[in-house]
Amino acid sequence: MSSTNHVTMHERDMRRVSSRQTVGKIVSKVMVYTFLILMAVIIIFPFYWMLISSVKSISEYRLSVPTLFPREILLSNYVDAFQQANLGRLFLNTLYVGLVSTLLSLVITVLSAFAFARLEFKGKNALFAALLGTMMIPGELFTITNYATVNSFGWMDSFTVLIVPFLVSVFYIYLLRQNFLQIPNELYLAAKVDGTSDLKYLWKVMIPLALPTLISITILKMMGAWNSYVWPRLVANDEKYQLITNGLRNAFTDSTGDVNIPVQMAAVAIVSFPLFLVFIFLRKYIMKGVSRSGIKG
Amino acid sequence: MVESKHKWKAWLYLAPAIVLLLIFTVWPIINTVRMSLLEGYNSMSAVGGATYSFGIGNFKQVLEYNYFLQCLGNTMLLCVLTVPLSTILALLIAVCLNAIKPLQRLLQTIFFLPYVTNSIAIGMVFAAMFNMVGSAFGGENEIIITAGIINNVIEFFGGHAVNWINAGSSYAANVVVMVVYIVWNALPFKILILLGGLQSINRQYYDAARVDGTSRRRVFTRITVPLLSPMLAYVVITGFIGGFKEYSSIVGIFGEDMGPAGAPGRLNTMVGFIYDSLSTQQGRASAAALILFGIIFVVTMINLYVSKKKTHY
Amino acid sequence: MKIVLQNLTKVFPSRNKKAGEEVIAVNDFTFEIPDGKLIGLLGPSGCGKSTTLYMISGLQKPTGGKIFFGDDDVTELSAENRGVGLVFQNYALYPHMTVKQNILFPLQNLRGADKLSKEEMLERALYAARLVQIDNLMDRKPSELSGGQQQRVAIARALVKMPKVLLLDEPLSNLDARLRLQTREEIRRIQKETGITTIFVTHDQEEAMSISDLIVVMKLGVVQQIGQPQEVYDDPQNLFVAKFLGTPPINVFDGKVEGGRLYIGDAAVLDVPGVADQEVTVGIRPEGFVPDENGPLVCRLNSVEVMGRDVSVVSSHPAAQTPAIRSIINADCKVNSGETVSYTLKPHKVLLFSKTDESRIYFEVK
Repeated sequence: MSSTNHVTMHERDMRRVSSRQTVGKIVSKVMVYTFLILMAVIIIFPFYWMLISSVKSISEYRLSVPTLFPREILLSNYVDAFQQANLGRLFLNTLYVGLVSTLLSLVITVLSAFAFARLEFKGKNALFAALLGTMMIPGELFTITNYATVNSFGWMDSFTVLIVPFLVSVFYIYLLRQNFLQIPNELYLAAKVDGTSDLKYLWKVMIPLALPTLISITILKMMGAWNSYVWPRLVANDEKYQLITNGLRNAFTDSTGDVNIPVQMAAVAIVSFPLFLVFIFLRKYIMKGVSRSGIKG
Repeated sequence: MVESKHKWKAWLYLAPAIVLLLIFTVWPIINTVRMSLLEGYNSMSAVGGATYSFGIGNFKQVLEYNYFLQCLGNTMLLCVLTVPLSTILALLIAVCLNAIKPLQRLLQTIFFLPYVTNSIAIGMVFAAMFNMVGSAFGGENEIIITAGIINNVIEFFGGHAVNWINAGSSYAANVVVMVVYIVWNALPFKILILLGGLQSINRQYYDAARVDGTSRRRVFTRITVPLLSPMLAYVVITGFIGGFKEYSSIVGIFGEDMGPAGAPGRLNTMVGFIYDSLSTQQGRASAAALILFGIIFVVTMINLYVSKKKTHY
Repeated sequence: MKIVLQNLTKVFPSRNKKAGEEVIAVNDFTFEIPDGKLIGLLGPSGCGKSTTLYMISGLQKPTGGKIFFGDDDVTELSAENRGVGLVFQNYALYPHMTVKQNILFPLQNLRGADKLSKEEMLERALYAARLVQIDNLMDRKPSELSGGQQQRVAIARALVKMPKVLLLDEPLSNLDARLRLQTREEIRRIQKETGITTIFVTHDQEEAMSISDLIVVMKLGVVQQIGQPQEVYDDPQNLFVAKFLGTPPINVFDGKVEGGRLYIGDAAVLDVPGVADQEVTVGIRPEGFVPDENGPLVCRLNSVEVMGRDVSVVSSHPAAQTPAIRSIINADCKVNSGETVSYTLKPHKVLLFSKTDESRIYFEVK
């Protein structure tokens, strides 16, 4: 094949091409890093702003030229936030609701996932398909009737109303079933031959093997309790049963006009802090769970 | 007989889930359809013995109701603005992240941070950043003491402060704030999924393209994007579904008034509309919820159809 | 275009930093590849042959040494500026593009003076497709093609931009046995037709021997021998090369040379004039055995396999390094089905190697 586009290059041309190559590479690396770091700053800035605002005095906060480093660190904002919004009480409420609902939810999810993954019964596939079908429906559609239902049960203003309606997550059942299915069926049959009961097998074999998924579910469920806002707002107006996010909004929107933003930011920081802690220590599980699920906890 | 023993056992294991699902999932589906078809249904008066005629009156009423149309419009607008914007931005970030080695893990962690936040809480931080501090309730000529960090930045670069979210702010300004916040919030999930997708693309396609002297742009448009299209489709679908259910991010910034002081409800969304009607006008709320479901269903189907056509290989 | 590799070296830093060991993938490789030839880079896995190929393509940078295309030093030039065609082991066809789009892809990259019109591109794509005989599959997606067809598309894609060099990484390893035979002839034909200098990598010596103009045998990053296939087979420079080439493989015995005679066990099997007395490793090609009732090399007979034209005799001998000795003899020669079989040896099929460094010890063949 004769070719016109590969005329012999001379040494000098070669050197020019190769130095252009190197320059191009450096320029593009610089651009990539600049873009990423700029975006990272934008992403992180609200957190930074929250933190520094939460320790400023109200007068420093209102300076017409804002300070990027607080002149004095006023931790009393945190005390104020705690007291004004009764965050201690709400924190305990949230913890209680989160723990109980996670625990019950795990039991229900594991049992259902086991039945769908390992047991044979009539209508299994149809039932499973029907369950998956409900995932298409936006949760708001259920809320209308559930609101009336819990009302007629007389559950308003109780922990029950915060826990029970959300115990079953079709998605978690699905996730765990998929995980269970990866465990070879021979293990189950071997256990049967040895006379191991279903529950013992579940506890000794399936659960340890599916532990990462269970941890992901636990974290997402806890985060869900921590971040839930709409439902508690609807059914628990008594502060005795409110959750932490509600307290955040209640405490600072009721005051008209001048909101004490530093105290507000302190409250926001208090609510955000545990989430960060969880993230730092359990990053792997969260990111894995999220990339498989794609739902907000 | 092992088999027969399993049959009742399986149902035993499933019992708690099934009972709860019947009460809190299946019954609501039936009931929502029922209520939406009883014209002007209201559970309070229904208990009192009132009867309702059967028909599609609720749907008609909702669709002719200006406020609902406004909520629908807001939702659509936010979706159309935020989904493409956040997807493109996430794609750029993911591609850049995939191209670097030092700092990759650190940056990846930073980009994931917004995911583990409470959208109400951080919404309040954004509100504070876009806020005007001081007396914004005064007359037009009153001097604003501090304009919030965003306005400070704008003024630093020689621009004029904008009334973003306070009383008297424009609808456009409100929407900009919402778009910024929603995009900020939507990025981490999209980056995570897209980066995962990028990392699973066989490196050899890139080597092959390099040997053939393909420019960066062409590699991006002709190889990366098509090979990433299943992930992109997934991110766009979930983005739209999330977008149509937008609610708490607006509460985070504007509070439950769903709008700036003086213009409550201006930024209300479909979900907000459903919650507003939930305790008093169940017929109307059900109709709205079914419309929301219909929209999500259609959008998902269109997306699936398009992506199937485009990603078939 | 001729290609010159000058002291080419590639060192990979160790994965394990603590150990601090580096892996030398290619060590001081110097070789001039003549224009328009088909070269086989041959060796067991991990011998550095693929690394060499990737360095020629520009995808990997050498740690030391230089690469010339013609008279031009391309060492610092990255892959896109070298004008090479590379066929990957698993083809790396873009799964979302049709065959036609795959073949057109490299042409659409050309910019500036090299830019082609749409018609020219199509014409060249069609030419390349015809060359590999896939012009009837142009609108299929890679997933709708068989392995052999995918291979051809990959070659067409590499050829369409008229590269200075065509590089093939294990081109036949993903094909089944029958296709492999057919495809290697095909590669030979395409190379002959285009006259493009072609280098391919393989671990299959038969494949390399059958189609290459020259073969390069490598081991652990070091080139063992370069030459025409028959020449390397007949005249290996060391035991490794001798063992690596040939099916069935060469039979290896422990032996010694005393007074110009080669002994295997106690039997003097061959005169080897000019070789000093020493212990040696003896390699005998399967075709080097001649059955002879009075032959000096007496082996225990295990089995006789008739393979049509030839007969394969499996026997054993205490001095052999492998449990089975395999010899190929003409079917006309009768092998008595007894306890033992005796051979005389064809001198030019007997190779001696040093016990100390496995290098070849030459002797005069009368």
